[in-house]
Amino acid sequence: MFYQPQTLEEALELRGRLRDEAIVVKGGTDVLVAMNHGVLRPRSFLDLSQVKGFDVIERDDGWISMGAGATFAQVGQLDVGCLREAALSVGGPQIRNAGTIAGNLVSASPAGDGCVALLALDAQVEVASVARGSRWLRVNDEWFLAYRKTALADDELITRVRVRTDFQSAWYKIGKRGAVNISVVCCAVGRSPDGCYYLAFGSVAFRPIRTPQAEELLNGRALTDDLIACAAESVMDEVSPIDDQRAGAAYRRAMCGVLTRRLLRELDRM
Amino acid sequence: MSLNTNDNTTESTTAPDTFHLHCTINGQPIERDVEVDRSLLSFLRDDLGLTGTKGSCLEGECGSCTVLIDGVPFNSCVTLAGRVNGRSVTTIEGFAQDDKPAILQEKFLETGSVQCGYCSPGLILTAYALLQANPEITEEELIKGMEANICRCTGYTAIIEALRRARREMLK
Amino acid sequence: MPSSTESNKPDTMPQVEPLAGQSCKRIDGADKVAGRAMYGADLFPGQAELFAKVVRSPEAHARVLSLDTSKALAVEGVVGVYTHKDVGGTNRHGLIRRDHPVLVEDHVRYRGDALALVVAKSERAAESARDLVEAHFEKLPVIGTIDQALASGAPKIHPDGNVMGDKRIRKGDVEAALRTSDVVVSDTFETQTTDHAFLDLEAGIARWDGELLTIHAAGQWVHEERRLVALALGLGPERIRIIQPCTGGAFGGREDISIQIHLGLAALHHPGKTIALRYSRSESMIARHKRHALRIHYTLGAKRDGTLTAARIVVYSDEGAYASTGIAVMRKAASHATGPLRVPNVSVDVYGVHTNNNPTGAMRGFGACQMAIASNGIIERLARVLKMGPVTLFEKNLIEPGDEVTTGQHPENITIKECLRAALDKFHSKPYPNDPLPPHLKRGWGVSVMCFGLGYGDGFPDCSRAKVAIDEQGIITVYTGGVDVGQGLLNMAAQVAGTELGAKLEHVRVVAADTGRTDESGSSSATRQTYFTGNAVRMAASELREQLLDITGNCLKVHPHEISLGPGGAKNTPGFAYETANPDNHMSLGDLVREGKKRGYPLEARAMFKPRTVPGDPNTGKSPKAFVTYLFGAHVSQVLVDIETGETRVERHIGCHDVGKAINPQSVEGQIAGGVAQGIGMALMEEVVMRDGRMLNPGFTDYIVPTIRDIPPVEAIYLEHDDPGGPYGAHGVGEPPLIGAVPAVLAAIYNATGAAPNKLPCNPENMWWMLNDPQRRGDFTVTQAM
Repeated sequence: MFYQPQTLEEALELRGRLRDEAIVVKGGTDVLVAMNHGVLRPRSFLDLSQVKGFDVIERDDGWISMGAGATFAQVGQLDVGCLREAALSVGGPQIRNAGTIAGNLVSASPAGDGCVALLALDAQVEVASVARGSRWLRVNDEWFLAYRKTALADDELITRVRVRTDFQSAWYKIGKRGAVNISVVCCAVGRSPDGCYYLAFGSVAFRPIRTPQAEELLNGRALTDDLIACAAESVMDEVSPIDDQRAGAAYRRAMCGVLTRRLLRELDRM
Repeated sequence: MSLNTNDNTTESTTAPDTFHLHCTINGQPIERDVEVDRSLLSFLRDDLGLTGTKGSCLEGECGSCTVLIDGVPFNSCVTLAGRVNGRSVTTIEGFAQDDKPAILQEKFLETGSVQCGYCSPGLILTAYALLQANPEITEEELIKGMEANICRCTGYTAIIEALRRARREMLK
Repeated sequence: MPSSTESNKPDTMPQVEPLAGQSCKRIDGADKVAGRAMYGADLFPGQAELFAKVVRSPEAHARVLSLDTSKALAVEGVVGVYTHKDVGGTNRHGLIRRDHPVLVEDHVRYRGDALALVVAKSERAAESARDLVEAHFEKLPVIGTIDQALASGAPKIHPDGNVMGDKRIRKGDVEAALRTSDVVVSDTFETQTTDHAFLDLEAGIARWDGELLTIHAAGQWVHEERRLVALALGLGPERIRIIQPCTGGAFGGREDISIQIHLGLAALHHPGKTIALRYSRSESMIARHKRHALRIHYTLGAKRDGTLTAARIVVYSDEGAYASTGIAVMRKAASHATGPLRVPNVSVDVYGVHTNNNPTGAMRGFGACQMAIASNGIIERLARVLKMGPVTLFEKNLIEPGDEVTTGQHPENITIKECLRAALDKFHSKPYPNDPLPPHLKRGWGVSVMCFGLGYGDGFPDCSRAKVAIDEQGIITVYTGGVDVGQGLLNMAAQVAGTELGAKLEHVRVVAADTGRTDESGSSSATRQTYFTGNAVRMAASELREQLLDITGNCLKVHPHEISLGPGGAKNTPGFAYETANPDNHMSLGDLVREGKKRGYPLEARAMFKPRTVPGDPNTGKSPKAFVTYLFGAHVSQVLVDIETGETRVERHIGCHDVGKAINPQSVEGQIAGGVAQGIGMALMEEVVMRDGRMLNPGFTDYIVPTIRDIPPVEAIYLEHDDPGGPYGAHGVGEPPLIGAVPAVLAAIYNATGAAPNKLPCNPENMWWMLNDPQRRGDFTVTQAM
């Protein structure tokens, strides 16, 4: 069956009833790639592309709140440093017109650029169900539970993702060519107004991660060359990259150090 | 040992469900019963015989399958057919009117941007969407907008010139 | 002065420019940009009745113990599942050795090997059934590397063992010359496996009507494909017709058999039904042959003033599972081992070794590409040791007219110095950027030089045939077996014929690549079509021209030598024949043709171009004419390197090639730019990653090809030093730009970083290792120093 709800209420009702019998799509790009490879053969789809108001982006009270349907193209227009740059580095324009940051959160790929930016912004994600209403979760250990497994229950949908507007942030992604890359390593660094640091990395663990020990070294302190170097060392200890067909662990680990130094210096100049 | 490497879905021999799709393709209203798991690329090519849109990487990486949905470029190979329910789709076949090539097509031809031609429909549609959305788009932004349309033959040099000329002409 | 709007007079004013030399628009271009051009998969709607899918091996190396097709046959919609038992002929194909099974009998040698063919009423059913074919294997140890293949006790991939062949060159006394050299440098260059990555996936249709098997599939040589289908299936070639659909790129990747025989097999078992077969991207990558990865040990000796004395080169080539065109690649690598350099003493040994990786075969550059990386690279290293600029060192040693190349042949038209000068002049015409760079960014530039023997060479029979005809509308039709893969063969043929016959392009048609209508023109490979087919077309058109002049002379009572052919003045009117000195005395081509028919003239002409080359001596590799002619080129590249991350970008790139004459300048520039882009791809990002015979990146997500953001606008220059053997002086341009591009990028990296790259691709990770790890650092060996 092909379900195409027109409102959020309809969508939640269908999700509550169908659960994992219908695969949820909005951009659908990850799902279609798996289908084209013959890895996934869904019998039913819950397509959210027609839900009214699902992609609205609002600002209020120090937050930017993005509807779950907001595409990377839309997010790429925002003035939130690392989030904008991460969004603009996902795939190419066609993929960005389809893919959503919520979709990135659901698939929880270790390489998810959107997730890494959200981690650096201490973002929150809102999920809702007919049975239990809505709740906000922090995009961190509350959300990423295991390899490609999130806190989203099978009767829930993501409804919104929000980030603070008062963070400073920076982003860098290493790819193998000038555009359209799956990250070899990506890094986002955020800093709250009260001087707390959020260092996030992609493709160096089983999920997008932060490095709390390095953050501890930095929180509330002025950035000096020595401090930045210590933080970079700590980062390289905290990440656990693997060798795969994209790159080797040693290189990835070294790049975490390089990007930490580079992005902290960039933050320092802001 | 079975060569079925697909361990995580149930093997089902029943035909997939269909649903009723209404959309507009190149200005023409289209109504069809479509299999729920059909990609937009397959719907256009296999159901409607519109073979101008090409399949190549089948992963949303190369842009050969680019079509416009409500004027916005998408990779049809990773878009469900159902996505265009109630929407309008433009393919390369709907691009030229009355057999006269549009400006972009003309510039592609005159600059030598067409060698094997397989990427041309996708490039032309993407460029068109970028220029329509912002006729004053800078050359740098235009090139960035084409970053997910791969060409294997031309090295892009002629294409960049074609884009330059088309932009100039469309601004007039 | 005749007005150009008068429809019934020849347009002699202004002097009509011959088509050869004009950047005419592609004659198939309008269809392509409108989405009307019919590539293989576009033939399916409305024609395909049954769908075939190939069952490929899950094992890289194994004996097949049993194959059970019963579950597959039971799938609703399946009409047949075929194995080797259902193949009527030899069940083998291969361009040089027929060693590649159509459907495997008992020995699987790589994961692309085909075990069975499923045919069904829908693609969905065929795909389901494909997954249900059950095979039992005795697994054999997988040979994933050359070293594993050469280890003692390694299992034999082919009955004769794992060394497929070797090629040697011996000139002078290398060991003595090295001993007495002032400086000797050595390094090992490792080039990678790359994929053609053409966009138009393998797809086609076929039908057997009881008399004729018609196959529509994109190859590179329709007549050879017909022969191979005939032998494999046990059908006479006269019962087979191969028709090339519009083709979306090849780059050597369609030179081996892909879907043709499988399509034919399915069609023979379902008479009267049109069979359709297409690959996904992953199947295309897993099944198809690849570029040879070469390990090149290069030792070069020189005098202290930079004069080269000797080169010793030993090459190990991964031939993969089957022979393909590997022997020819080895030969080409050997015969280009010193490129356009003057080296009096040379010894080359190329060893081809089978593995359980993809068969390796033709890909743009064909062995000369990989060797150019090494021959340019070793000069770069020598320059540092001698404290000379690389350009100075190159210029001191580039061959000049009268010199010989690696095989001892003396090419007639050596223009490498002119190419290098022109490339450098272009580079220096813009100031080198002097913007201050942050400490982690380094900029550098470098050059490369190359030469390339055109055609099959080495005594392989190499021939093109053409026919040119004219009809009563005055329309000229060229018939050629040559395949247009996007390079512009159709235009080349039309422009050559049109030049001979004084026609406008719109009055020339080309019928190409159909064994039912065209004579054999050899493959679209080896950069040979302009020279071989261009010559054949020119000769045929010239012969036809003589007929037309004779007829006209007879009708107008003028000597044939006093007659010209020219296009009509009005836009749509085909041409005229007229008395040159008195254009009012004329007749239309249409009238001419009618008069000619009355007089019994055939109004068509055929020609064959089949120049001979001489095979290399088996011991010394020497040949007075290994190739019909040589092509020269030089590149300059400028890169920006992030030395912390290893990310590298080409900021500027110049490619200069002597093409003899540019029949279509825009096409020539397009080939240069396209070749440069593929060269940048090979230098920086492309790599087929194999582990124990399994391809880890069979798709565009992880097989990285350049986007528009990776290639700067290429500055393409062509020189026109007339090649007397080519049509209007033209020879060719297809492969050289890729061959020249890769080493120039590597030279630029060396200049920017001080580290000498010798392992491709120079992706960020490999760059980082080169710059940081003492073990892998870009160092080379200096075995003798002043």
